Amino acid sequence: MREEESSRFLLPFRVNMLSINRWVALGLLAFSSGYGYLAFTYRILPFERFLAMKPNTLPIGLAVAGMVCSIALLLVPEEQSSGSGEENKVLGSDHKYLESPENYEWGKGAGLLILAVIYALSLRQAGFLISTSVFLIFGGLMLGERKFWILVPVSCFASFLVWYLVDEVLTIFMRPWPMIIYQ
Amino acid sequence: MWDQMLLGIQTAFTLQNMFFAALGCFIGTIIGMLPGLGPMSVVAIMIPVSIQIGDPSTTLILLAGVYYGAIFGGSTSSILINAPGEAAVVATSFDGYPMARKGQAGKALTIAAISSFSGGTIGAILLMGFAPVLASFAILFWSAEYFALMLVGLSAVAAFAGKGKVLKALMMTLLGLMLSTVGESSLFNAPRFTLGLLDLQSGIHFVTLAMGLFAVPEAFFLALDVLRGQKGGSKEARDISNLRINLKEAKTIAPVIGRQSIQGFLIGVMPGAGATIASFLGYAVERNLANPEERKEFGQGSIKGLAAPETANNAASTGSFVPLLTLGIPGSGTTAILLGAFIALNLQPGPLLMQDRPEVFWSVIFSMYFGNIILLILNLPLVPYIARLLAIPRTYLIPFVLFFAMAGAYIGQNNATELLLLIGFGVFAIIMRFADYPLPPLLIGFVLGQIFEDNFGRAIRNANGIQFLWERPMTLALVLATLAFVMIPLYRDWRSRRKASSLG
Repeated sequence: MREEESSRFLLPFRVNMLSINRWVALGLLAFSSGYGYLAFTYRILPFERFLAMKPNTLPIGLAVAGMVCSIALLLVPEEQSSGSGEENKVLGSDHKYLESPENYEWGKGAGLLILAVIYALSLRQAGFLISTSVFLIFGGLMLGERKFWILVPVSCFASFLVWYLVDEVLTIFMRPWPMIIYQ
Repeated sequence: MWDQMLLGIQTAFTLQNMFFAALGCFIGTIIGMLPGLGPMSVVAIMIPVSIQIGDPSTTLILLAGVYYGAIFGGSTSSILINAPGEAAVVATSFDGYPMARKGQAGKALTIAAISSFSGGTIGAILLMGFAPVLASFAILFWSAEYFALMLVGLSAVAAFAGKGKVLKALMMTLLGLMLSTVGESSLFNAPRFTLGLLDLQSGIHFVTLAMGLFAVPEAFFLALDVLRGQKGGSKEARDISNLRINLKEAKTIAPVIGRQSIQGFLIGVMPGAGATIASFLGYAVERNLANPEERKEFGQGSIKGLAAPETANNAASTGSFVPLLTLGIPGSGTTAILLGAFIALNLQPGPLLMQDRPEVFWSVIFSMYFGNIILLILNLPLVPYIARLLAIPRTYLIPFVLFFAMAGAYIGQNNATELLLLIGFGVFAIIMRFADYPLPPLLIGFVLGQIFEDNFGRAIRNANGIQFLWERPMTLALVLATLAFVMIPLYRDWRSRRKASSLG
């Protein structure tokens, strides 16, 4: 019953191959156009004007090729999208996730990415050891781990081990503690 | 040349380099076994760490060891829990896992180890023959030919991307080339396309891009399905007791190993083809060659069906070193990452590498023999112990995969913006994977971009225009080959679509 409800809830989010391909092609066209605009308006230094190859020569070519390619992708019929080699048949496509979204835990995937962003932003302030331990603990919790007595020491030990190997053994500097300690 | 080879042997077989080759194989096997981190991610993570060693030969020996160790490790999880860590070992699970379920996990692992060892070793012998011949030919190339050669390489990557994906692969290659123009360049005075961001001034770091493109989506997709991944494999399959194979079985797989070593190597040499295509093609070829009785066993636990992809993917991994070492053109995502390592070490792979740094060129090749022996030793007696890693719960594994990916980009740079870029690339890669876009061409385009532009610039300056494209015969031949590589698959796609629409 609950499963049925959740699948009904997710129904509007079903994305077919056609629409995602078109949206992606459109995004690529926008990117190529934006890159092309920057390349065309790139300010060339006075002494570069007489060079056979200017800083924007290749970028302009790439932008034009990118636009042609993305327009072609936008216009080609649907059969273009799926591979048909033996390996493609077996490996399948990641599009399967969108065909039956109710079978997958999207919250966990998205949550993990958000946690990664928070981790990246906290590294400078909190230092490597604290931010990494917290990231690993919350990552495990988010994915369903409830054995705190294992999760917490494993995460803290792993953070320390990586820091020790990188900073002390390989002598690549990595600030271990929060910024505030050093001020 | 013999002197150079001797120098390579001396370099490869020092105690230090043998230790690092063994370490690379060990790390590669362990991490390659875990889902989420394929050879590309493992090699990329290891780059910032391995560069600290200082000696280029040792660094490259370590990274090469990690590469084929990861391919080797992937086959173990394919056989034992039917969870291939990456595409190149999917075909291994077709017969490897049914064998394991029949209680023959030990035998399956032995066959996989012997096949991988043979494929890798025969591949290394062929590499020794191929590489110098190609390098001595490529030494005749000037900037114009180099530029055209890169065009061939980049278009071939798209051409071999698979039916229906040519245009997408081409687009990804172009995107990689565009990203490579961000930041400072050796040809020009001011940084380009930085959007005013200081962090982009020195360009996008290729480890950041590689991790974002490959490791982040893996962590994301694993998180979508945490429980299912954990249940993989039956109890019988995890029981590794008898590792022996008998003489009859050895005789059965010997011709398969011989054929697939050569076929896999040749496929690996082609840009864009790589270990995945080699393993699937190897499996299909051996199934077709088998007699009707044997053919019935394919998919049910055939030893031929296991030996074929295992031999082919290892031979192809070795084969992919040919264009990298001799032309400086990577044919696969992993060799693109290795090219990044070469550049970080101030080495330019290509025909001159064999002349200028013979100890690096030959020691990497000779270390492969040692590496393959190490892998055989690792995979036979140690595998029952190493395989226990497969029991690590996914709830621990997935955050660690993401953490290692981020640490790979953070180490040595101490720049949090790099991590935000990495996650941005990760989100982009997830969307691209939903839409079935191949990602290795993007990385190959990105890594080659700078060299591509340098050679293009030099060729234009020398000729004072683009007439070199048709005035120099070798350049013209390569440009025509590029057009053929792009146009023929596109035409085939167009024709099959038209046929399909007329039938529909």
